[in-house]
Amino acid sequence: MGVVHGQEMVLNIGPQHPATHGVLRLQVKTDGEIISEITPYMGYLHRCFEKHCENVTYEQVIPFTDRCDYLASMTMNFGYVVAMEQLMEIKVNDRVEYIRVIMAELQRIASHLLGIGAFGLDLGAFTPFLHMLRDRERILDIFEMTCGARLLYNYMWVGGLSHDLPTGFVEATLNFLDYFEPKVDEFENLLGHNKIFVERTADIGIMPAEVAISYGVTGPNLRGSGVKWDLRIDDPYSIYDRFDFNVPVGKGMKGTVGDCWDRFYVRIHEIRESIKIVRQAIDQLPKEGDVHQAMPKKIRPPKGSIYRRTESPRGDLGYYIESDGSDTPYRVKMRSPAFTALSVLNEIGAGWLMSDVLGILGSLDIVLGEIDR
Amino acid sequence: MSEDKEKIISEAVEKALQGDMDTINNIEDRVTRSKAKAALVKAKRAKVVSDEDSTKEDNASESKVEEKINFNQTLCKKISEKFSDSIDGDQNNDWIQLKPENWLKIAKWLKSDEELFFDSLQCNTGMDLGEGVLESRYNLHSMKHLHKVEIRIKVSAEKPDIPSVEQVWRVADWFERETYDMFGINFIGHRDLRRILLPDDWEGWPLRKDYEEQETYHGIIVPKVKEGWE
Repeated sequence: MGVVHGQEMVLNIGPQHPATHGVLRLQVKTDGEIISEITPYMGYLHRCFEKHCENVTYEQVIPFTDRCDYLASMTMNFGYVVAMEQLMEIKVNDRVEYIRVIMAELQRIASHLLGIGAFGLDLGAFTPFLHMLRDRERILDIFEMTCGARLLYNYMWVGGLSHDLPTGFVEATLNFLDYFEPKVDEFENLLGHNKIFVERTADIGIMPAEVAISYGVTGPNLRGSGVKWDLRIDDPYSIYDRFDFNVPVGKGMKGTVGDCWDRFYVRIHEIRESIKIVRQAIDQLPKEGDVHQAMPKKIRPPKGSIYRRTESPRGDLGYYIESDGSDTPYRVKMRSPAFTALSVLNEIGAGWLMSDVLGILGSLDIVLGEIDR
Repeated sequence: MSEDKEKIISEAVEKALQGDMDTINNIEDRVTRSKAKAALVKAKRAKVVSDEDSTKEDNASESKVEEKINFNQTLCKKISEKFSDSIDGDQNNDWIQLKPENWLKIAKWLKSDEELFFDSLQCNTGMDLGEGVLESRYNLHSMKHLHKVEIRIKVSAEKPDIPSVEQVWRVADWFERETYDMFGINFIGHRDLRRILLPDDWEGWPLRKDYEEQETYHGIIVPKVKEGWE
């Protein structure tokens, strides 16, 4: 039987639509229920981050990085300060490094919780979303206790941190981990092995490894395609070589390697690995050490440029910093992981049904603040 | 944590250090088990640190820098042998400066050559060097061989034409659109070169150093005096 083509229809999703995870417009061409082409239009949140950076000093850039990926501000700070410290050849003490790792991994848990929760929400599962937000609140409480802010922290500074840990931080974090660890299994059962969820994600939106690499897709999305690639291990920064953790990859347990379910699977397992890292980091945390010790009085990097990547919850977060020797950056470029993840949408989304496309978009876990910058 | 739990952990760690991992793995309570594992890593780490010599680390980082310089020089040589007249000006140890003409051919070769195999384009960014010179920079990386290189291509601001590598690395599609959007660098051969972050009818190239905002946009006055935000 030949393929029957109907009349082509152009449909707009967004800019204001709950399933687009921000302000994103998708122009889709449909043939009946089948999508033939997706064209994303973004820039609705564009704030000219990179132009602002050229007009402020190096330390004033940090609050801007917070606002790019507002769901993982700690790791955005982390990437910037790692790049700056490498450019200026600053070595921070161990206490600072451990605190940074603890914060980054807690942030990864919080970000993945929201990522998975919103993914379920896109497919109509409302309950897991509420459960995950409830536990994310507890992490935000820990952050609030540390630096006073719940969303935009400005916590990691070049050469140090804004505050040392408050008293009772270690107990609060351990309490949270003891409470939270069994909950991860619950989430996995509640959402991951739910029949409706499996039906709607397994074998859908398959992203082969070559496609992912060519499109620059990184992080959990790349690992979902079965590629064992994690910058914390493959291009180590900070002190990640001191911890013992695994890199989960998609195995195609419910369908094909690289489908939407695998991307979910990688995220839920990364939460477990992050818990492991936080536990080890708290155990090894040095008691002594001034968090302001290595902070330069005036940040004035030598002439030159650097490109440094770190592993944010969404993938390779790269900062390209060009310095002309003055105290304002000549150019700062952020290589955003969600930007490249969105670019693959047309490639893996075309050919699926209308309802699947929103699921595929949800599985990529994009944040528009970071795409538009 | 109660005292007997601590006792269990310390006993299990001691046994594991002697090579018997079963004691740890047999702890039933999940939380206690992971705590015991964390304690084990800490104990192992303390052992290793005491053996390490700090001078070793210094030597390692120095040899790493040398390796990178050597890699850049050999790659530069290879390119000039294969594609004559494609290297631009004096060479630097940190990057390779190319002329725009042969860039597409070189890019295809960089990606397909077995020894180099630069399969991922990490970053593409524009740069305004002032005095009417723009530059496009590419950070390439090989996920197989784990080496990286930075390529820089200079063009004049009057005629900013660079061949597009959008069909070599698909990620370059949006990266080049962004560089075009911000710097006005014209990527020849790009199949869909439109503005990506700014609206289609925006005037000028914002990240160039001589950029001036337009007076009005759709009848809205663009404020020029930035009072009170410095």
